[in-house]
Amino acid sequence: MIGIEHYVVVSSILFVLGVLGIFLNRKNVIVILMAIELILLSVNLNLVAFSAFLGDLVGQVFAMFVLTVAAGEAAIGLAILVIYFRGRGTIAVDDIHRMRG
Amino acid sequence: MVDLSQYLPILMFLGVAVALSALFVFLPMGVSRLTGTHNPDAEKNSEYECGFPAFEDPRSQFDVRFYLVAILFIIFDLEAAFLFPWAVSLDLTGWPGWITMMVFLGELVVGFAYAWKKGALEWE
Amino acid sequence: MTDFSQSLALIAAEELLTVVGLVLLLCAAWMGDKASRMISIVAVAALVACAFIAAPALCGGLMGPERVAFMGQYTADAFAAFAKLLIYASGIASLIVAPRFFGQVGAMRAEYPILILFAVLGMNMMVSATDFLTLYIGLELNSLAAYVLASFLRNDERSAEAGLKYFVLGALASGIILFGMSLTYGFTGSTNFTAVALAMDGTLATGALFGLIFVLAGLAFKISAVPFHMWTPDVYEGAPTPVTTFFATAPKVAALALTMRVALGAFGTQVDAWQQIVIFVSLASIVVGALGAIGQSNIKRLLAYSSINNVGFLLIGLAAATQEGASAMLVYLAIYVAMSVAGFVVVLMLRDAEGRPVEVIADMAGLSRTRPALAWALAAVMFSLAGIPPLFGFWGKFVVFQAAVNADLIALAAIGIAASVIGAFYYLKVVKIVFFDEPANVVAESGESGVDALAHKVMLLIACLFISPLGYLLTPWLGELADKAAAALYFVG
Repeated sequence: MIGIEHYVVVSSILFVLGVLGIFLNRKNVIVILMAIELILLSVNLNLVAFSAFLGDLVGQVFAMFVLTVAAGEAAIGLAILVIYFRGRGTIAVDDIHRMRG
Repeated sequence: MVDLSQYLPILMFLGVAVALSALFVFLPMGVSRLTGTHNPDAEKNSEYECGFPAFEDPRSQFDVRFYLVAILFIIFDLEAAFLFPWAVSLDLTGWPGWITMMVFLGELVVGFAYAWKKGALEWE
Repeated sequence: MTDFSQSLALIAAEELLTVVGLVLLLCAAWMGDKASRMISIVAVAALVACAFIAAPALCGGLMGPERVAFMGQYTADAFAAFAKLLIYASGIASLIVAPRFFGQVGAMRAEYPILILFAVLGMNMMVSATDFLTLYIGLELNSLAAYVLASFLRNDERSAEAGLKYFVLGALASGIILFGMSLTYGFTGSTNFTAVALAMDGTLATGALFGLIFVLAGLAFKISAVPFHMWTPDVYEGAPTPVTTFFATAPKVAALALTMRVALGAFGTQVDAWQQIVIFVSLASIVVGALGAIGQSNIKRLLAYSSINNVGFLLIGLAAATQEGASAMLVYLAIYVAMSVAGFVVVLMLRDAEGRPVEVIADMAGLSRTRPALAWALAAVMFSLAGIPPLFGFWGKFVVFQAAVNADLIALAAIGIAASVIGAFYYLKVVKIVFFDEPANVVAESGESGVDALAHKVMLLIACLFISPLGYLLTPWLGELADKAAAALYFVG
C-alpha cells in the first residue's frame, strides 16, 4: 500500500536534488533552469498527493497555478540567459562573477 | 525558550534527504568509474558502422529565434491549461466564472497583440 | 463575508493597475519608445489614483470580515493599505528618476513604467493576501517583473548578470516558499491563513513545522536577510540605479509586510516555533550588514549592505511578536523607504564631467566643496541610516527597540544597539570622505535644468525633510496610522 508518506519522501528527494543541482552545478546555467523546474515539480507532486489524500481540490488548483507560473518563469529565465549570452558569449556558471566585493 | 528537541526531526529529515540525493548524484559517477564504462577510444567515438558521418557538429549553435518561438509557445500553450478545469466546472461557477475566463483570455490576447506588434512572431 | 460584486469593489486599486498596465502595454507596442514619457506620466497618475483608493482604508482603520474579498483569499484592510501606500510612493519615485538615467545611455524604453506597474500590482496582492495561493501569485507577478527590470539595460554586461543572479536565486526562493506551502497545506488541510492558524493551534505536527521553516526561509530570501542575503550586493550594483531604487524600497516593504502577515497570522498560533529563528536572522542581518559594509568601494553595494542591516533592525520588531512590535515595524518601514529613496536619488545625481554616473565612493571626495547641497543630503542619509539621534532614522530604531524591550527581549535589544554603533563607523567614513578629504573633482556641476533635474531635486528635498529632525513633528500622526494598521493585522473574529 502506497501511503502519503511515500509521496512526501519522493518529493523531498526531488526537492533536495533540485537544490543541489543549483549549488553543485559548475558548468551550465541551463542546468540551473532545469533544477528550478525540478523543485517546482516536486512541489506539484506534493500538492497533488496531499490533495488526493485530503479529498480537497485546493491542492490541485494550486498545482495548476504552479505549472503555469513555472512556464512563465522558465520563459523569462531563458530570455535573460539569451541577453547574457549575447553580451558575454558564454553561459558557464564559473564565469558569472564580474561583480565581487 | 523553545524546546530544542523539537527541532531534532528537521535535522533528521534534512540529513536523510541530503544523503539520499547525494547518493543519486555520486552513485552513478562511482559506478561508471568502477565498471570502466567511461573508456572511450577512436572506434567507440566513431559513427555507427551502418550510419553515415554527421554533416556538421551536433553541438552547433542554433538560431536564437527558435528560443523566442519556443518561449511564446510554452506560455500560450500552458495558459490554455486553465481552460480545462474551467470548462468542466462551468455549470457550478456560472456567469461570474464565464466572465472571469473571458477577462483572462482578453489579457492573453493583449499579450499576444504585444508580441505580434513587436515582431516576435516574424521569422525574418 | 462578501459576495462577488463586493469583492470586485474591494480590489478597485488592483483592477485599475491591471487595466492601465494592459492599455499602456498596447500603447508601448504601437507608439514605440517615443511614447515612454507619456506612458510614465500615465503610470504615475495611476499610482497616485491607487494611493487615493488605499488612503481611506488606512485612515479609517478598516478591518474585519467586510474587507475580506473572494471568500477569505484577499483582504483590503488598514494594514494592507499602509504597505500599499509605501509601495506606491516607491513606485512613483523610481518612475520619476528613470527618464534621466536611461536617457543618458539612450535606453529609456516604454516598457519600463509598465513593468513597474505590474510589479506594484504583484506587491499589492502580496500585502493583501490571506491565502497561500494569492500570496504565491502576487509574489511571482512581482518577481517576474523584477527579473526583467534587473536586466533592463540589455547591452550592459553587469545588468544582464544582475538579472541572471536575481532570477536564479529568486526562483530558488520561490521554490523553497512553495515547498513550505505545500507541506503546510498537507499537514493543516488548508491554504487559508486563518484556517492554518486554527489547525496549527496546540502541538505542531512535524510536517507542518517543516512547512513553517521552509516558508520563512524563502521569505528571508526575498527580504534579503542573512543567511540568504548573498544576492543583494551583486544585484543592487548591477541593476540600473532607478531599478535599484525600486528594489531597495517597494519589494522590501511588500516582502516584510507579507512576512508579518504570514508569521503573525498563519503561524500566529506557533510563535514559539519561529521566534528563535527570527531573532537569529535579525541579529545575523544586523552584524553582517554592518561588517559587510566595511571595505565596500561602491556606493550602491554600501547601500545594499545598509539595507541588509536595516532589515535586521526591522525583524527585531517581528521577533517581539506583539501588536506594538508590528506597529513599530511599520513606522520603521516608512522611515526606511524615505531614507533609501533619498540615498539613491543622491547617487543618481552624482555625475562626472561627461555625464556618466559616479558610483565609487573615493570619487566623491571633497563633494562638500564642489556640490555642498548634495553633500549635506548624503550626510543626512548616512547619519539617518546609522540611526544617529537628531535624525529621523533614530526614531525607527527607537520604537523597534522599545517594542523588543516591552516584549522581554532585552538581550536582543542590547545586542542590536551595540551592533548599530559598530555599523555607524562605516557611514561616518563616507561622511568623512565627502567632507574632509581633498576634492577629487570627479563629480561635476550638473548644468542641466530640465523638468527631470527639477523632479530629482524636489524628491530629494521632500525625502530629506522627512528624515531630518523635522520628521519628528510627524511622529504622532505616523504612529497613529501604524497603530491602526497593526490593529488590523491583529484583528481576530
